Amino acid sequence: MRAFDSYHPIVIFTYFCSTILFSMFFMHPIFLSISLASSILYLGFLKGFHNMKRTILISIPLFLIIAISNPIFSHRGVTPLFYINYNPITLESVIYGLSMAGMIVTVIFWFSCYNEVMTSDKFISLFGKISPSIALIISMTINTVPRMKRQIELITNSQKTLGMYVHSGSIIKRAKSSIRILSILITWALENAIDTADSMNARGYGLRGRTSHSLFKFKRNDFFLFSFIILLSALCVYGEMANYISFSYYPYISKINLSYFSFILYFSYLLLMTLPLVIEFKETIRWRLSISKI
Amino acid sequence: MAFIDIKNLSFTYPNEDKKVLDNISLKIDEGEFIVVCGSTGCGKSTLLKQLKVDLSPHGVKTGDIFYKNTSIDSLDKRTAASEIGYVLQNPEAQIVTDKVWHELAFGLENLGVPSSVIRLKVAEIASFFGIEEWFRQKTADLSGGQKQLLNLASIMVMNPKLLILDEPTSQLDPIAAADFISTLAKLNKELSLTILLVEHRLEEVFTHADKVAVLDEGKLIAFDKPRNISKFIKNHPVLYSMPTPVRVYNKFSTDDDCPLTIREGRSWLLKNFPNKKNLSISIESKTLEEDNPVLEMKDIYFRYDKTLPDVLTGTSLKVYRGEIFCILGGNGSGKTTALTLLSRINKPYRGKVILNGKNIDKYKSKELYHNNIALLPQDPQTTFVTDSVEKEFKEIIKTMNYSKLEAEVKVDKIIDRLNIKTIIKKHPYDLSGGEQQKVALAKILLLEPEIILLDEPTKGIDAYSKIELANILKELKDEGKTILMVSHDIEFAAEYSDRCALFFDGEVVSVGDPYSFFNGNNFYTTAANKMSRNIFKNAITSEDVIELCKKIQIENTN
Repeated sequence: MRAFDSYHPIVIFTYFCSTILFSMFFMHPIFLSISLASSILYLGFLKGFHNMKRTILISIPLFLIIAISNPIFSHRGVTPLFYINYNPITLESVIYGLSMAGMIVTVIFWFSCYNEVMTSDKFISLFGKISPSIALIISMTINTVPRMKRQIELITNSQKTLGMYVHSGSIIKRAKSSIRILSILITWALENAIDTADSMNARGYGLRGRTSHSLFKFKRNDFFLFSFIILLSALCVYGEMANYISFSYYPYISKINLSYFSFILYFSYLLLMTLPLVIEFKETIRWRLSISKI
Repeated sequence: MAFIDIKNLSFTYPNEDKKVLDNISLKIDEGEFIVVCGSTGCGKSTLLKQLKVDLSPHGVKTGDIFYKNTSIDSLDKRTAASEIGYVLQNPEAQIVTDKVWHELAFGLENLGVPSSVIRLKVAEIASFFGIEEWFRQKTADLSGGQKQLLNLASIMVMNPKLLILDEPTSQLDPIAAADFISTLAKLNKELSLTILLVEHRLEEVFTHADKVAVLDEGKLIAFDKPRNISKFIKNHPVLYSMPTPVRVYNKFSTDDDCPLTIREGRSWLLKNFPNKKNLSISIESKTLEEDNPVLEMKDIYFRYDKTLPDVLTGTSLKVYRGEIFCILGGNGSGKTTALTLLSRINKPYRGKVILNGKNIDKYKSKELYHNNIALLPQDPQTTFVTDSVEKEFKEIIKTMNYSKLEAEVKVDKIIDRLNIKTIIKKHPYDLSGGEQQKVALAKILLLEPEIILLDEPTKGIDAYSKIELANILKELKDEGKTILMVSHDIEFAAEYSDRCALFFDGEVVSVGDPYSFFNGNNFYTTAANKMSRNIFKNAITSEDVIELCKKIQIENTN
């Protein structure tokens, strides 16, 4: 069990909200690099560095396409590097392209992390607080999809042995038999839905004052981490509002702010982005220590 | 003061003249375990649904039902939801949510119980039912038995006073079914829970029941202790679903009590029918065309995925023309998988399947599935693709390219043979389990196969439908067709098959005719064989036991 996963869904959800939003809106190069590096490290930790090769391989072409297309289509900026068909390729737009590509790749990485950590039941329990009926619908859908898939497979096999060709014949024939299977699947689903509805009715669904149960409890730990995340996020937002970390690429690239307070901001952003890794590291050390005491 | 008091209850569905329930009166005391039985369409499910107002169908109802002296219609909705629990037949469709723990909490959430209380109650029920190990699993990943146990648990968590179950074990294999029934018995004995159970497989439940109600065409024809039931049902079809000792006892008029368990059956046999002359069933020996199997598996190895272990490990099997061959075995022994290989749904990675001396891969699809091999899947519903039985037949006629006249003759013949004339206009999904199976079988027979493969043909159908099915299979056999079925149903295999094979761990461990097969087994054998072992030499079905008992009776009177 990973340490960060064991926190309450609200804490995890807030965390990913802030990291993903900040990664999208803070175009400051230092912030961008911090976020990119942390997302790669965290994803590597979650999936194993071996398994994330594919994710990275897919993201490289995406990165290149964005990075190259920006200077080709955008000619803003004051420092022309060279000309293509009398159109200037500017230093500013090259750098902006690189930052932009970095930002998009970072956001994709963060979303992959989110998918690993925020499992469906966490998501549902989160919704349960806001709207119990939506949470129930999501849960029922998740339950129905694999059953439908299985039924399609069974029907397809049955039809195959009945001499109905599902995987062979002309495209029109195949399309026809697929439609037939789909239509009977809907009948099947509706038929089953009657049973499900009966079962819900029999257990008092529709009575007033339905509550929503979840396995997750908001503990003291959750409160501390939650407050910490909010604090760090507020700091970053304040930095942005007070122009400490404002940064512009056009018409010329602005200088990076090197004041004391901005360093505090860089550090707190680093801490926020690497927070799950810090927690995992802390927990590992605590575990080692507790074992060595025995 | 009875716990439940049903007074002169009659019920008619809208637009129908016939009463589904006809003047039923019965009283149930608190803590009683009641089993309701009868053949399909006798009104037993309708009766149960009358007790759960939320589920009761539309129609004209006369008479009254009292639950703890209040009329069931005036019962407060909240009380009805929590005090009267209802488990349905289909284990899968009843599950609402995606996680086991959430399913357990579902009922309590509806009742508006606060989360802290739900936590405790769910923990309590999970420990009682032994659900801890799969508590956090997805409901979609559970086995059929686990699913039905979860359905029961998620109702028991609401602490009902009355538990109603409508054929809860019909979709389960015998071991899961026995587990489920013993859980019910535990609930009844330890918590004094009143249970009302509709079942058509009565072997297990008879010993636990306090009273048995038998319905016939909407009338209550018997309501008494299990030991006395035999008296009321001479020659009634419901007798076929009774435990073996009851069926044997039913044929003879002895003064002592009706035996219910195999142990009681044995002592009853010993007392009344001591086999001094060592009589036995005479078995006609059959000759097989040893060199000429129609269908053969040769050293088959198969796995579903490269990373998964082998399901079949060097399986070899020969099936001969004109026999009913039955593959028996537990869950996960690979018997259903073997069927998918024989019907070419899957292909082995080593070894081959030979049909009529030719590798099955060499056949074209059309050649193979028309006039050669046909498979009746476990769930007959999966063969249906249209909205009426008639259209289902037309689908097949189209693929077979029959001429109009030819088709009419063929369809008429099959409708006649399977006795399904009355249902051809209906939607296949509206039919009972037995009827659905007959329609699926009819579709398959229209393909005019030489070899018919059946996957669990007796699952979920009542005793009478089983006999009907057996008769059809026998007829087909007489026409020279070969029948291969995979089943859990030992009794059915013993009675109707020519040869049986036991699958275990992906291999065939024993093959033989039913008499040598079952007499050689100590545990994996029929109830009749267990009951008459060492008394009679080779009786394996209740018919055998009855036959020998009759012989002894004649001997004794002479």
